[in-house]
Amino acid sequence: MNLRIKFTKKGYLKYISHLDTMRLFQRAFRRGNIPIKYSQGFNPQPKMSIANPLALGIESEEEFMDIELLKKISEQEFIEIINNQLPDGIKILDAKYVNDDKSLPSTVRWSYYEINVKTKNMMDKNLLEEKINEWLNKKEIMFERRRYKKGKEIKDVKNIRPLIGNISLVKDNKNINDDAKYIIRIRCLLKSGDNGSLKPTDFLEALDSYLSLNMEIEMADIKRLNIFTEVDGKIQSPM
Amino acid sequence: MINRISFDRVLKKVEKPARYIGMEKNSIKKDLSKVDIKFAFAFPDVYEVGMSHLGLHILYNLLNNEDYIACERVFAPWIDMEEEMKREGIPLFTLENKEPINNFDFLGFTLQYEMSYTNIINMLDLGNVPIFSKDRKEEDPLVIAGGPCAYNPEPIADFIDFFVIGEGEEVVLEIMKIYREFKLKGYKRDEFLKEVSKIEGVYVPKFYEVYYKEDNTIERMEPEIDGIPRVINKRIIKDIDNSYYPDKIIVPFIETVHDRIPLEIFRGCTRGCRFCQAGMIYRPVREKKVETLLELAEKLVNNTGYADISLTSLSSCDYSQLQFLISKLINKYGEKQIGVSLPSLRLDSFSIDILKEIEKVRKTGLTFAPEAGSQRLRDVINKGVTEKDLETAVTYAFEEGWSTIKLYFMIGLPTETEEDLLGIRDLGYKVKNIFFNFPKDKRKGNLKITLSASCFVPKPFTPFQWVGQNSLEEFNEKINLLRNEIRDRKITFNYHDPKLSYLEAVLARGDRRLSKVIARAWELGCKFDGWSEIFDYNKWMKAFKETGICADFYALRERKYDEVLPWDFINIGVDKSFLYSEYKKATKGIPTKDCREGCNNCGINRSFIGGVC
Repeated sequence: MNLRIKFTKKGYLKYISHLDTMRLFQRAFRRGNIPIKYSQGFNPQPKMSIANPLALGIESEEEFMDIELLKKISEQEFIEIINNQLPDGIKILDAKYVNDDKSLPSTVRWSYYEINVKTKNMMDKNLLEEKINEWLNKKEIMFERRRYKKGKEIKDVKNIRPLIGNISLVKDNKNINDDAKYIIRIRCLLKSGDNGSLKPTDFLEALDSYLSLNMEIEMADIKRLNIFTEVDGKIQSPM
Repeated sequence: MINRISFDRVLKKVEKPARYIGMEKNSIKKDLSKVDIKFAFAFPDVYEVGMSHLGLHILYNLLNNEDYIACERVFAPWIDMEEEMKREGIPLFTLENKEPINNFDFLGFTLQYEMSYTNIINMLDLGNVPIFSKDRKEEDPLVIAGGPCAYNPEPIADFIDFFVIGEGEEVVLEIMKIYREFKLKGYKRDEFLKEVSKIEGVYVPKFYEVYYKEDNTIERMEPEIDGIPRVINKRIIKDIDNSYYPDKIIVPFIETVHDRIPLEIFRGCTRGCRFCQAGMIYRPVREKKVETLLELAEKLVNNTGYADISLTSLSSCDYSQLQFLISKLINKYGEKQIGVSLPSLRLDSFSIDILKEIEKVRKTGLTFAPEAGSQRLRDVINKGVTEKDLETAVTYAFEEGWSTIKLYFMIGLPTETEEDLLGIRDLGYKVKNIFFNFPKDKRKGNLKITLSASCFVPKPFTPFQWVGQNSLEEFNEKINLLRNEIRDRKITFNYHDPKLSYLEAVLARGDRRLSKVIARAWELGCKFDGWSEIFDYNKWMKAFKETGICADFYALRERKYDEVLPWDFINIGVDKSFLYSEYKKATKGIPTKDCREGCNNCGINRSFIGGVC
């Protein structure tokens, strides 16, 4: 019995890691007496998988997780029991039994983010939009990614253009914030999952090297709005 | 409340931001404007360490059970957090309401280890509370402290308004009631302090004067005002089975040192190991009933969702109905994948039977503590395990598929010789031989033996409280000897930093003149001294030099029996003469029997319980 659940991760709860989130759910399931299936073997683990790990510090409007149950309980009952056990910020929005033979994480392809980032420089909104389109129209966007493996820094230069789906600039009046710095709001569709992925912060770094707005990337407010899978070339929600 | 925008900025920059957010399951957030008393429970170390401390969970829930009290938690911010908080102008705050700690009525520090003393000062300073008790005004919080290190409160006497000696469950509520009355009728700091100093177990250092002899030892300690006790009796909970225990505890988001249900099965210990302070100060042994524990376990499992129940105490294998309790728990929770664990295992055959039982659910790591390398020295410290016990235990462990064994030792114990030290090596090799004496097809896994040595620190209220600690040179010689002697791919030798143990010895047996040194060390930047990567020995030595205080006087000096010790005014119920006779027996290598085999006349039954233990 595979139950797929949709949940949020907002507010201060964005500061707990992927592993912390897994642990939090395991304990909530145990408190709620949810009949979860355990793996066999030396160190039995509850059968659950989160669609796509969210980096520390990023909020989310919709995350997905599959859990295997030993016996069926009604979706509504499940939501009520578990929401009672969850902290403010993490909330189950929906739950549905699914018969997918593919694991949830392996089907994830895209994440849709909203990013609010402060910048030291600013340009006219129309010009900004034009520049972003110009950037997206390039065949290749080369970006040097830094990763750490066994404490050693590994750099590789990669074309990230195929990892970017689309970008839209949210135009509203909030382009100046209280401490007199500029702020821009962007929505973007970025690759996520096993077939390549782009971190929102890497995306911002690449974008800013083109726009030269001098973004405060470390301080950006990033929120995942949606996760999409791709089935037979069609982009769709996991639920 | 602190500025949320600044706080959010800070959280984005620091490592493990979840240390500072609160909001965990079973945490309690009250409206602070609607309670009479705001109590900040302060743990002078990082969140992960503090949240693993049972006393915090007990007192947090006990205080919050009272409608008129709000108890919130505060921990030492890690170095990176401290820097960011200072940059943003955020004062130290509690996790629940994010309220600056100087808005609380009480700041209650728990003293779990001496090396956290500079963190106390640092936390006061970060919270804009004057670090010295004498500088605090009417509106400042009352800074109080309890826990095992409060049994020698003197080194931090200048910073703490009053100490609570012994078990806190009852006395803390007595204090709260008096404070509430004072608040209603008009609170005056000094009048309140005079009032609480009459409560059994409460010690207000500023009401006492210490007089010294020419040789720097203490001549006497005098109460400076009338009506306060000359001797402070520790508090104990007589009826542990009916005393308060939380049925829900906070479940942290992040991994802590102990991520499990702590089920306290008894207090005290009957073994009488001569180096062990806990074994003396927590006397007498008081057990909880199996029914009580099963009831609590049920509630705690349902309220936390933890997958492990840890049966905690000083020596859990000594619980009179351990096997019965464990089989009950396993029968009940095994199916739900909830395991049972014991914090420490003795090396005897009984423990091995228990291990077999526990193992049905989950395998735990195997650690044994022979403490000393030779039988002679184990008799000196009254650690009643034999080499045969170790052999039986590891043989069983290897049969059952374990291949990683850790053995804990102390070096620098009184009367220790080179032969005793080499006994540590020999035990390591013995364990190795046992493994390889198994036929090849019966050996499981890759053998790894860790021999871990800590440097002995003599503690107050133990038979070794008069002993001079080994000097750094002696410790280093001993460590080098073992490092050279233990050369085997299968055996790792670890040791603790002798400098840290030296300072711990100074602070553990210090008097109130040390407050100056601690304050100076903090000014020089010392904090998190228990963290070897941060501990700065040179700064501490500078602090001693600048304040003109000799550290060796406290750590290395052998005391005479008639010397007035800084903690002599505290009565733990165990007679000083008993401790001394144990010391004399130790030097002759004469063991003392376990209390359960007959009374050894330590005094606790006369002074505290008025009967048989």
